[in-house]
Amino acid sequence: MERSSLDAILDGRSTEPFGIMEVLQDIQESYGYLPEDAIRKVADSFDVPVIEVFRLANFYKALSLTPRGRHVVTVCTGTACHVRGAPKLLDEITAQLGVGPGDTTVDMAFTLETVNCLGACALGPVVVLDGQYHDHMTPARLRTLLDSVRAADIDPSRTVEATLAEVVADA
Amino acid sequence: MAKRVTITVDGAAIDTYEGANVLETALEAGICIPNLCHIPGVSPIGACRVCIVEVVEGDRRRMTASCTLEAEDGMVVEAHSEAVLRARRNIVELILAEAPNSRAIQDLAARVGVTRSRYPLRNKDCILCGRCVRVCDEIWQSRSLGLVGRGGDRHVALPFDTRPDLCKRCNNCIQVCPMTITPCPGPMTEGGICALCASQVSMVEDIPDTCIMCELGRGFQCTRWQMVGLDARV
Amino acid sequence: MHRLQDPVALASFRDALQRERTRFETTVTMCAGTACRACGCLPVATAMAEEIERQGLAEKVGLRLTGCHGFCEQGPLVIIDPLGVFYCHLTEADVPDIVARTLKSGEVITDLLYTDPVCGEVVTRESDIPFYAAQDRCLLADNRRLSPTSIEDYIAVGGYSALAKVLTGLTPEAVIEEIAASGLRGRGGGGYPTGRKWAQARAATGQDRYVICNADEGDPGAYMDRSVLEGNPHSVLEGMLIGAYAIGAGKGYVYVRNEYPLAVTHIRRAIDDARECGLLGKGILGSDFDFDVMVARGGGAFVCGESTALMASLQGEVGEPRAKDIHTVERGYLDQPTCLNNVETWANVPQIIQKGAPWFAAKGTEKSKGTKIFALTGHVKNTGLVEVEMGTTLREIIYDIGGGAQDGKSIKAVQTGGPSGGCVPVSQFDLPVDYEALSAAGSMMGSGGMVVMDESACMVDVARYFMAFLKDESCGKCVPCRIGTDRMFEILTDFTEGRGTMEQLETLKDLAWTVSAGSLCALGKTAPNPVLSTLRYFQGEYEAHIKDRRCPAGVCKALVVGFVIDQDACVQCGACFEECPHGAVIEDDGYRIDQGLCEHCGLCVDACLSEAISKV
Repeated sequence: MERSSLDAILDGRSTEPFGIMEVLQDIQESYGYLPEDAIRKVADSFDVPVIEVFRLANFYKALSLTPRGRHVVTVCTGTACHVRGAPKLLDEITAQLGVGPGDTTVDMAFTLETVNCLGACALGPVVVLDGQYHDHMTPARLRTLLDSVRAADIDPSRTVEATLAEVVADA
Repeated sequence: MAKRVTITVDGAAIDTYEGANVLETALEAGICIPNLCHIPGVSPIGACRVCIVEVVEGDRRRMTASCTLEAEDGMVVEAHSEAVLRARRNIVELILAEAPNSRAIQDLAARVGVTRSRYPLRNKDCILCGRCVRVCDEIWQSRSLGLVGRGGDRHVALPFDTRPDLCKRCNNCIQVCPMTITPCPGPMTEGGICALCASQVSMVEDIPDTCIMCELGRGFQCTRWQMVGLDARV
Repeated sequence: MHRLQDPVALASFRDALQRERTRFETTVTMCAGTACRACGCLPVATAMAEEIERQGLAEKVGLRLTGCHGFCEQGPLVIIDPLGVFYCHLTEADVPDIVARTLKSGEVITDLLYTDPVCGEVVTRESDIPFYAAQDRCLLADNRRLSPTSIEDYIAVGGYSALAKVLTGLTPEAVIEEIAASGLRGRGGGGYPTGRKWAQARAATGQDRYVICNADEGDPGAYMDRSVLEGNPHSVLEGMLIGAYAIGAGKGYVYVRNEYPLAVTHIRRAIDDARECGLLGKGILGSDFDFDVMVARGGGAFVCGESTALMASLQGEVGEPRAKDIHTVERGYLDQPTCLNNVETWANVPQIIQKGAPWFAAKGTEKSKGTKIFALTGHVKNTGLVEVEMGTTLREIIYDIGGGAQDGKSIKAVQTGGPSGGCVPVSQFDLPVDYEALSAAGSMMGSGGMVVMDESACMVDVARYFMAFLKDESCGKCVPCRIGTDRMFEILTDFTEGRGTMEQLETLKDLAWTVSAGSLCALGKTAPNPVLSTLRYFQGEYEAHIKDRRCPAGVCKALVVGFVIDQDACVQCGACFEECPHGAVIEDDGYRIDQGLCEHCGLCVDACLSEAISKV
């Protein structure tokens, strides 16, 4: 099933010079990363040496050669978030998860990323978890958020929202 | 038919053609502009910045790499002004601190008058000059290795650490690498450049654009060295 | 939607749309930009729509979701017209009241109104809010009036009339002259005169010509382009159309950073809609001008905001810049003449054409004309997007519009221009925002990022922060930038960790000069600016770190001697004990901190409910 979506992505590609980047970004979105055989197939399909595609995959931060965790936590480290305490968030999450930016936890649950500005500076510090933006984050709130994600993983009937609501009610 | 133009390098008027590579033009005319990532016959990329010069336009001066600079009629270039010498020394000092044990880099340091580095020494085995990649791409058209990654992660790599079928095993990449070029035969000193290289520094300080017949130049097939070397050989 | 055959068809379509817009007695406008969505405005919007329907008001009340208004910390927010009432910090629970009381009976709900943090007064109407009133919102005002996914809205408020004016009566040369006369300069940071760039692109020789919109806004702390592209994508398209006509380009690209997914969606939608209306493609508005645009997403690389790197990326290569001995207007994308401009630059074009160059040139200073959008963030009361006339002083922006310092602290400096810029100390806050004035002070206008820093910011840490960013984002091609930023970071780290020497300070200055002089591209050339500007104005902080091994602002963890619990103030709640991730808080008939285990992270200070813990 994965094979055919790679083919679909290649078939639907643009003839623009930029087409190769679009294909790589689409593969990244579908698979969560760029598997080696996908890169080789892209090189073949665009008739470029594999080293060129390998270079693209390594240069752009949006592209990853290693699989990502189930949940991607992105901490914004832009200037405004930095002066509002983003480093403390990174300390907290590194202590909690045991991984640094760019790495994934051993149990493949979380991948930690940093981003140099999301454009939501007035709401900093900002953390994005699985595409959801969380504003005015503090280490305590971040810990609660991660715990609730873990709880939802164990018991899917307990959604993140429900757990968060419980925690707020308890406090 | 390319148009003939005249450019001035360090006061010397040189006749060349429009669009000519200013670094090569200077070297062929006998003016040594130190360089590292330049390979005769291969497209320049202006990566090492050792060959920087100042282009003088009226009362404005612009610093740029001479290897990527194209000759235009009336262009005035200074390869050994105070600002250029300072910048070049500091740039080579940065390279020296990355690979102080490479004698080829020590040759380069001697050539520009650097005897020590103010930075904590690292011991890299690659200085990312990109010569291997460009030779593979352009001369042999093998496109087998590349400069991969950004910033501090940048390194020379084979795709997925596997030698592609395109590789012709010509070993040119190794031959043009400054880290493997047979270096000067002088005695090594602790934490600094070798004594023989250091002895040449004073010559360089007196006449900045002199050719010191460095081993680096011989290994690099430096045009200037080839001309001087042929004359000077006993 | 249908194809508009010519300018007359456009004009009559506009008339029809304007009549349509007056259909509703009351309009509820809600900001739905990225930041407001992060605050949860969409559930509020859904609840509002449902409630309006339920209360039978669907014929009388219109709901419009717009792009970013720029007052981001107040979201979710609505403005109810024609009253002009401004409600902020809304939740779904507020919706029934708003509909029943304000929409139905015109009653103002005081609890939902905005309170000005400076004077403490409650403000009813949006137009009376000091934050907005002090601005000159030439570009941002439209974000308020239209839905970014509606080309009809854009046309109704006058959109594409500048294009029509150009196609019916101006030669390309006349357009270039008008832009040149306006004094518009590149808003991406370089400040290059736009008219001159267009003239050079037109005069260059080449088979094909291109226009590019640089929407790779990478400066951390800057989001002006996000809000314009997200909130009013057609204004950018119209600008590009006019520019393409002027220089003779048939194709254009919008290169958007992929960290702005909403902007990507909106500009793609705008392009599709414009094509459908015949405003893009062949024979635009019945003329013989053909032009089309494609969107490319960035791959997460700050260096791709540099024009030659952007073009390399657009060509499907890694984003490594090349030397600009030959400019991109002569040899750019695919080695053809290319005119690359920033989002805000393009967005200014339609207004200049419509209202005339003298209108634009009447605003601003002698050399910096028009208005500029700034992203005012950091340690200031009112954060958000601020659009002011060039020449407005930093003091007016930070105090009059920004409301001054938070929490009774004192403001120390403002950082402008992102990682290429510098810090301007409070003593220089009477400087006007003007390209030359800010450069002379050691900073730069940049793309518009303006981060305010109070006494709790350490300037050495700020310099180190920017150097960490730059060495990470450096493409790595050239030695001065790749190794130079790394070594500058190494020295700054030595300073912040108590290992600095005064010799290193001299080395840092020499290195900074070298990186600036020797680097291949603008990223490297401007990389030393944060270091040089903080050294210029805050030498004292550097010396304290080096000579006294002390961080005056108390930020550098390694220079903090320790954290101490004041036993008299401590209420023994145990919050610090719970919070400490390093197990350094010891329960021992009360609580105390084990300095050996303490990592100086400061989380206990934040957790303490009785302010009993202090840094030493």
